[in-house]
Amino acid sequence: MEAVSAFFTVITHWDLLLLTAVGTFAGIYVGAIPGLSVTMAVSILISFTFSWDVDPALALMIGIYMGGVYGGSRTAILLNIPGAPSAIATALDGYPMAQRGEAGAAIGVTTVMSFIGGFIGIAVLALAAPWVSDFALTFQPRDYMLLALLGILLVGSLSSGSLVKGIFAGALGIAIGAVGRDPLTFDSRFTFDLPQLDSGISFIAVMIGMFGVSEALLQLHDIDKTAVRQSLSRIVPSLGAVKKHLPLSLQTSTIGVIIGALPGTGGDIAALMAYDHAKRVTKTPEVPFGKGAMEGLVAPESANNAAVGGAFIPMMTLGIPGDAVTAIMIGALYIHGLNPGPMLMVDQPDMFWFIVGALVVANVFMLIFGLTGVKIFTKIVELPRPVLIPGILLLSIVGAYAVNNALSDVYWMIGFGVFGYFMRHYGYPLGPVILGVILSRLLDDNWRRAIISEREDLGRFFWGIATSPLSATLAVAVILVFVSQTPLWTRAKQRLLGASA
Amino acid sequence: MPPPIENPHHDGLSDATPGGYEDQRRPGEIVFTLVLTVFSAVMLWEAYGISGFSSLSGSGVVPMATAFAMLVSVLLVLARTVRLTRVANETVLRDITPPIVMAVVVLLVAYAILLQPLGFLPTSALFLIASIRLLCKRSWAWVVGVSLLTLFIIWFVFRIIFTVLMPAGIVPEAELIQFFRNLFHGA
Repeated sequence: MEAVSAFFTVITHWDLLLLTAVGTFAGIYVGAIPGLSVTMAVSILISFTFSWDVDPALALMIGIYMGGVYGGSRTAILLNIPGAPSAIATALDGYPMAQRGEAGAAIGVTTVMSFIGGFIGIAVLALAAPWVSDFALTFQPRDYMLLALLGILLVGSLSSGSLVKGIFAGALGIAIGAVGRDPLTFDSRFTFDLPQLDSGISFIAVMIGMFGVSEALLQLHDIDKTAVRQSLSRIVPSLGAVKKHLPLSLQTSTIGVIIGALPGTGGDIAALMAYDHAKRVTKTPEVPFGKGAMEGLVAPESANNAAVGGAFIPMMTLGIPGDAVTAIMIGALYIHGLNPGPMLMVDQPDMFWFIVGALVVANVFMLIFGLTGVKIFTKIVELPRPVLIPGILLLSIVGAYAVNNALSDVYWMIGFGVFGYFMRHYGYPLGPVILGVILSRLLDDNWRRAIISEREDLGRFFWGIATSPLSATLAVAVILVFVSQTPLWTRAKQRLLGASA
Repeated sequence: MPPPIENPHHDGLSDATPGGYEDQRRPGEIVFTLVLTVFSAVMLWEAYGISGFSSLSGSGVVPMATAFAMLVSVLLVLARTVRLTRVANETVLRDITPPIVMAVVVLLVAYAILLQPLGFLPTSALFLIASIRLLCKRSWAWVVGVSLLTLFIIWFVFRIIFTVLMPAGIVPEAELIQFFRNLFHGA
């Protein structure tokens, strides 16, 4: 009964309902405007909402998250510029459709598919999370440690970039998270004898730097680029079009939920994998892929919104973020004195059902706002970049300063912004850094717990992993990530696929 | 693995599609990797100094393992990077750090330096005017007008709605807000 009332909290409190609506609406624009990303917006918002209660803060962030993952598709279709990372695949077929004068149809189908995907993600979250959290109570410290490692490694291995660079980024994040006095022994770690570093580096400064400043600096390369706007036709799609693509949408939503639920990997990777899947299963598309195939829109858009619900599963049940945005939300919950993980689900199940309710409401608002108000949309999105980028930078500074009222956080933010800018240029993923920072404490605590319970004996530690089915599975998954990157594996795969063909 | 997506500047749009080239190195990449290598080595040395190899549950074990992972991975990257051929038509000044990017970073640092003594409103106004003027060649009147409008919106949302406190500096901000509050409440 309590779960039901927690689920309906957002609907029964008009202020929360309004915040979710505002969040979703703002999220659509944040996602749509190139240079503004959800990750950036949520990390800046943490610093502004930390004096609020946790419910309104979460309602706003969840709205922005849901809306933002969808919003990127609008600009991808209309301007050929993906507004958000999760919409990169959407531009491949969305823009050609718009050029043929079918922008309205493209936006309509995208919106409905995002809604369906979003809904499937939330349903899986509601059904699976209570079960996973029961299961998670049996997790040993070593299992948490292995899961955290797996999450940090997965981004590098599932993206099209290099795993080694992903590992570097993840390790760097763990190191950043370790800076300061150790809470158990009070030893100073990575402080280089500077007293300013004793209390550590504010993770909000790191996040705003990496996702806000570095992105804004990158956008300076395109300052003069003018987009060609496409005209709009009817938006609300026909039932027939939705029905026709429903099977594909269900398949790619499943991909989305799984990728979202894997620690670390989110909507951007889910969308690209779903696009790849659609290309493989659609034998005879009406229009070839890349030239404006509807399937090329359905797949990534249902997958990236399905990944939202998925990403909350490990976050709520294990305290391990499903993607960069949920990593930031974990940070937000810490600030509000909550500790996400299996105990949160046991102690405060209301919190979980509140989040599920807020996601459902945000998903419905996304559908409503998605199918209306496209005319004013194009005007707002075309805000001149020479004004937008300085505005984003100013917001980033205010955000970094506001949390601790410390100027040093502004310097850290600028430093990490510039560093992140170079990392992006040279092919290092940024997600693992944030994941590392957030998981650093969890990894360290669980390692110490695990090794102390084995009386500091490495042999016993490994024996424990080998003899527990769960630990062994996780360890094999970690090893597989490495093996899958070796030339030996590629050759074996080719031979296997070659033999079956 | 998802298909690689071409992007005109080869910079990292997202984690799914990191920047750079698959089999070429960008200008400045070796220098960047070398800096990371030295940094990782220093971190490893620093981590060793925390608790050494005294016990497996010591506070320095995870930092040492982390710094070791950083060093090994960056050495692998370095070994690969030096063997690659350089991208033919890219230069550091045009594709990696164009003057406009460097100028904006300088403005950011200047902002941080001036924030405490000058206060939020004047520093932000100067920052917006300087950077907007730098990024588009419109008339000064337009630039100043747009900057002040942007600043007002940001200030209103964050100072009044989110009640974020920024350094007041030389502008008597609190007194001004109180003055307007009194005006509206007829006190």
